Amino acid sequence: MNRNLFTTSINKGFTFGIVMIFLVLIDFEVMAATMLSKLLGVNVVRGALPEVRFMIIFLVLYGLFVGWFASSDQEKPAKKLFQALIAGLTVAVVVGLFDIALNQLITTGTDVRAYLAALGPASIKLFLLEKGALGSLLHLGLFTGASLLGSVLKILLKSDPMSHFLKGISTVYRDLRAKTQAITPNWIKEYGKYLLFLLIGLSAFFLPRMWGSYNNYVLGLVGLYVILGIGLNIIVELSGQLMLGFAAFFAMGAYSMALLNAPLPHGIMLGFWPALAIGVLMAVLAAVLLGLPVMGMRGDYLAIVTLGFGEIIRILLKSDLLTDFTGGPRGIQDIKGPTLFGQPFSSDIDYTYIILVFMILSIFIYKRLERSRTGRAWMAVKEDTKVAEATGVNIKNSKLLALCLGAAFAGLAGGIFAARNQFTGPNDHQLMVSMNILSILIVGGINSVPGIILGAFTLKGLPEILREIENYRLLVFGGLLVFMMISRPEGLWPATRPNIEKDEGNRQKAESPPGKGGQHD
Amino acid sequence: MVNENRPPRRYKRSNLSKIVRWVLGIIVLSYIFWRLYTVFIVQNEYTPDIWFRLLISGLVIGGVYSLIAIGYTLVYGILRMINFAHGEVMMIGTFAGYFVFEATNAIKFTSSSGEITSLSNAQPVLAVLLAFMVGMAVASTAGFLLEKIAYRPLRKAPRLIPLISAIGASIFLQNLAQLLFSPLVRDYKNPALIARGQGWPVTIAGAQVVIPYTGVLTFSMSIILMFALYTMVKKSKLGKSMRAVAADKPTAALMGIDVNAVISQTFIISGLLAGAAGVMWGLHNGLVYYYVGFLPGIKAFTSAVLGGIGNIPGAMLGGMLLGLIESIGPTALGISYQLKDVLAFVILIIILVFRPSGILGEVLSEEKV
Amino acid sequence: MTDTIIQIKNVCKIFGGLIAVNQVNIDVPEKYIYSIIGPNGAGKTTLFNCITGFYIPEKGEILFYGDPIQGLSTNLVAWLGLSRTYQNIRLFTNLTAVENILIGLHPNLKSSWFDAIVHTRSFIKEESGSVKEALRLLDYVGLKGYGDFLAKNLPYGLQRRLEIGRALANQPKVLLLDEPTAGMNLHETAEATHFIKRLRDELGITIILIEHDMKVVMGISDRISVLDYGMKIAEGNAAEIQANPRVIEAYLGPGGAALSEKYKKQRQSYAQSHRS
Repeated sequence: MNRNLFTTSINKGFTFGIVMIFLVLIDFEVMAATMLSKLLGVNVVRGALPEVRFMIIFLVLYGLFVGWFASSDQEKPAKKLFQALIAGLTVAVVVGLFDIALNQLITTGTDVRAYLAALGPASIKLFLLEKGALGSLLHLGLFTGASLLGSVLKILLKSDPMSHFLKGISTVYRDLRAKTQAITPNWIKEYGKYLLFLLIGLSAFFLPRMWGSYNNYVLGLVGLYVILGIGLNIIVELSGQLMLGFAAFFAMGAYSMALLNAPLPHGIMLGFWPALAIGVLMAVLAAVLLGLPVMGMRGDYLAIVTLGFGEIIRILLKSDLLTDFTGGPRGIQDIKGPTLFGQPFSSDIDYTYIILVFMILSIFIYKRLERSRTGRAWMAVKEDTKVAEATGVNIKNSKLLALCLGAAFAGLAGGIFAARNQFTGPNDHQLMVSMNILSILIVGGINSVPGIILGAFTLKGLPEILREIENYRLLVFGGLLVFMMISRPEGLWPATRPNIEKDEGNRQKAESPPGKGGQHD
Repeated sequence: MVNENRPPRRYKRSNLSKIVRWVLGIIVLSYIFWRLYTVFIVQNEYTPDIWFRLLISGLVIGGVYSLIAIGYTLVYGILRMINFAHGEVMMIGTFAGYFVFEATNAIKFTSSSGEITSLSNAQPVLAVLLAFMVGMAVASTAGFLLEKIAYRPLRKAPRLIPLISAIGASIFLQNLAQLLFSPLVRDYKNPALIARGQGWPVTIAGAQVVIPYTGVLTFSMSIILMFALYTMVKKSKLGKSMRAVAADKPTAALMGIDVNAVISQTFIISGLLAGAAGVMWGLHNGLVYYYVGFLPGIKAFTSAVLGGIGNIPGAMLGGMLLGLIESIGPTALGISYQLKDVLAFVILIIILVFRPSGILGEVLSEEKV
Repeated sequence: MTDTIIQIKNVCKIFGGLIAVNQVNIDVPEKYIYSIIGPNGAGKTTLFNCITGFYIPEKGEILFYGDPIQGLSTNLVAWLGLSRTYQNIRLFTNLTAVENILIGLHPNLKSSWFDAIVHTRSFIKEESGSVKEALRLLDYVGLKGYGDFLAKNLPYGLQRRLEIGRALANQPKVLLLDEPTAGMNLHETAEATHFIKRLRDELGITIILIEHDMKVVMGISDRISVLDYGMKIAEGNAAEIQANPRVIEAYLGPGGAALSEKYKKQRQSYAQSHRS
């Protein structure tokens, strides 16, 4: 029993130690310390290293995490402490051995950056807390102490008085909410939603004018990815077809805009709005051409075929074959922006408005589709294709429709994207774009608009704001996808199904004259 | 009592998608025939030595594809999932081999004749063997860990969830490699004995063609490994239990087979093959960077599908075929060599549309899938 | 004399070397409860799958009001008015009960995706009508109050009922029930039997039933066919089937008829001795 406890703790500690080593190898620890430093109000100049104390804070946080994770739920406090101690010591020993090697590198002046690109001497010194060989001893103390502390924290937070306390808070909160609900006048209840919308609308109108072009750029990017996310959501989550080549439709929109509304290579200059519409149509056309032959295919095969389709489009755009037509690897520049009522309408602020309007329109369309005969048919197809067909749903038409509508959103986003950047090239439409959009859906939540917005903000907006994290963004994406699939496949903010029976009951109650109570069948 | 909502009386299965399929198929076929006709009959400017050279390079690349494709097929056969991160396992093997060659190249000593040589040049056989062993060991460890961390908790989840997890793992590994080793494209330091671009000259139809040493090494190595694997699956106890688990997991468990262990071993074996393929790729093509596994991975998957996924001889055949198509295809069709990847993807789509069971694959019934 | 609603003529379905359904001829008269029984693996569910378009029979014809429907795609068969339930319940598990029934209504609705986006007047009318209809059906199958539960969270018996409700939403002419009482206890079985009878009597739906529970079959069937190894070995009403030696042999193995005769006599003598 105790032996078992011992070995599992050693295993956990060993894993965490290895993870720490990898973090150091990719210079993650310096990035984390920089972020902490900024969070705590000490700005770090780009390219410079944070102060040592922030590195200590990061290591302590890591130790706390180890201790929290190592002390298992069912054990008694003493055993928890024991587990945390063993795990912390193991981490410290593993990292300590690594420290000695690192120190050796520093003292002999070997530069390994030719092989391990991120392992610069300055960051090694910082990791060793500027103390050289002594650093490994400091690490030993830090990790063990912090791990024990983490265990203590867990014991305290999960102890009876504490959980009582937390429960107390939640009941107080619930009471408070009930009371406020009781005293809020009816008109707020009824129109509060619209008030909220109005507030959001006003801020959407005024904020872009007030907060500078960089924020507008980020907001626009998030908005575009929300549109893309909604489009892919229709395909992947509503109708259940895993699509890995969504960027191809995005490319259709972007290239339609570029070819029809830029001076080179063709100089058609059709104008923004017609080009946008044609882009949407082209995306739909591509969806039909792709969809018709592959519609009956099994899920995982479909995923690979769509991936292949996306890559074909990208390689073709890049190839010599189409250079005269699409500009080849260099892409197309100087795409003209939109005009509205004869006035140019293409400043940062204007684009933000355009994107916001289209985003709201997309959400609106999506919401209506979801709660209709079409949307229900899609969900049925996703849940059980065979049964849906036996219930009278035409599977192929239904899937094809989902593909086309999803592609239309992608074409729309692509057109705006190209015009806003005044440029598009093959590298805008890589496989990674498709993967990013898919990650937004999976992280955000299945069929849930707030989830998509949240996902687009976390995955596209945050990395733009927190520039330090940029290099690690895709790494975190990948890890997050695996982690979400294992622990929370429904996403951060999953949708709930509508309560049709209850709503209908309420509606009938409201319609029937008061007094009778609406208890008819 | 006829409901007016009912469709008209002439009911038929909708055939539109079938028609589109066949129209597309006929267009593609006639395009291929037209191109072949132009290149071979009308232009006819290629001499046999060129075809021979393409044949050799196709066989070499095909051998690598086959080895990776076997990994896809083994895993698919047992778990019915596409191990999307398999290409990254190969990439890890390539890097491991790269570091072995760097290390053996860095160890310098004075040979008996008084020259300063490195270990890899003095003992090339040892260096190559070491590279293969390390590459295979590291890649198989990666495969083992991959299964344990990213796939095992999802054993009972719906089909698409492990696939998404695999995509996540693939992105993760690619970017980990990029952060660790920088996005630089590095050169493989082959031992001088098997330097790239050198080989045995052969005269074909009056012209000289060089059969590269690395190509011969790669091809023979892949044949040996495939043969070993095939014997293992057919003859050994592990092979038997693998086939049993592939056929029916619960029943295999009832027969006393440790299903988890067998699945782990499958990932280890496919990792071994992918690691070997990675070292070969490095030796023959000479480039290593974080993205090196992606395209071979996709193409190996294409080969596995081409041969019939789940079928080991099919994966071998498919790999060889795809290698040949990719190397001979662009020239034979007279299209730009840039488009060889497009060719592979088009083949993938055509196979999946017209014959998802591949060349040698059985037709899986709905229930089994 | 009632019309024949479904006529199965010489239907054969072959899987590889196995003839799952072999030259079966069955005529189902309108408004009958028609049972198909037989040992496990006799080809009953395969026959169902042939009727509903899951499988295309290799040979033979299936006529619905005299029109051939074999080889039609499943959704068209549903459009025509043939609904079914499944041996192992197959609901849309992550949707609510009401939504399940709303999907069942699919063939009766007409609105397109465009109507849904612009909320045309006909769409709003149809949508509210379909919600009302779904709630009525929910009530009819006895799931009132469970409408907003996810289908997977419903208890087993209610899942069976919901499946029937979904099938009914299509306004079917023929309802094919695949072992509707499997896994139910005595009380639930009795209830379900009563319910099936009610469906026929109140809604006038023809019911084709696969069932293993002989009490249910003998109690409600107007006519019974027995399948064994894909072939029809007997047809008749309950009494005829019970007396048929081939049926008993199919269930109990060769010599089973004699054995069953022996036990029957024993039971009779036992009963007589007790009565006296």
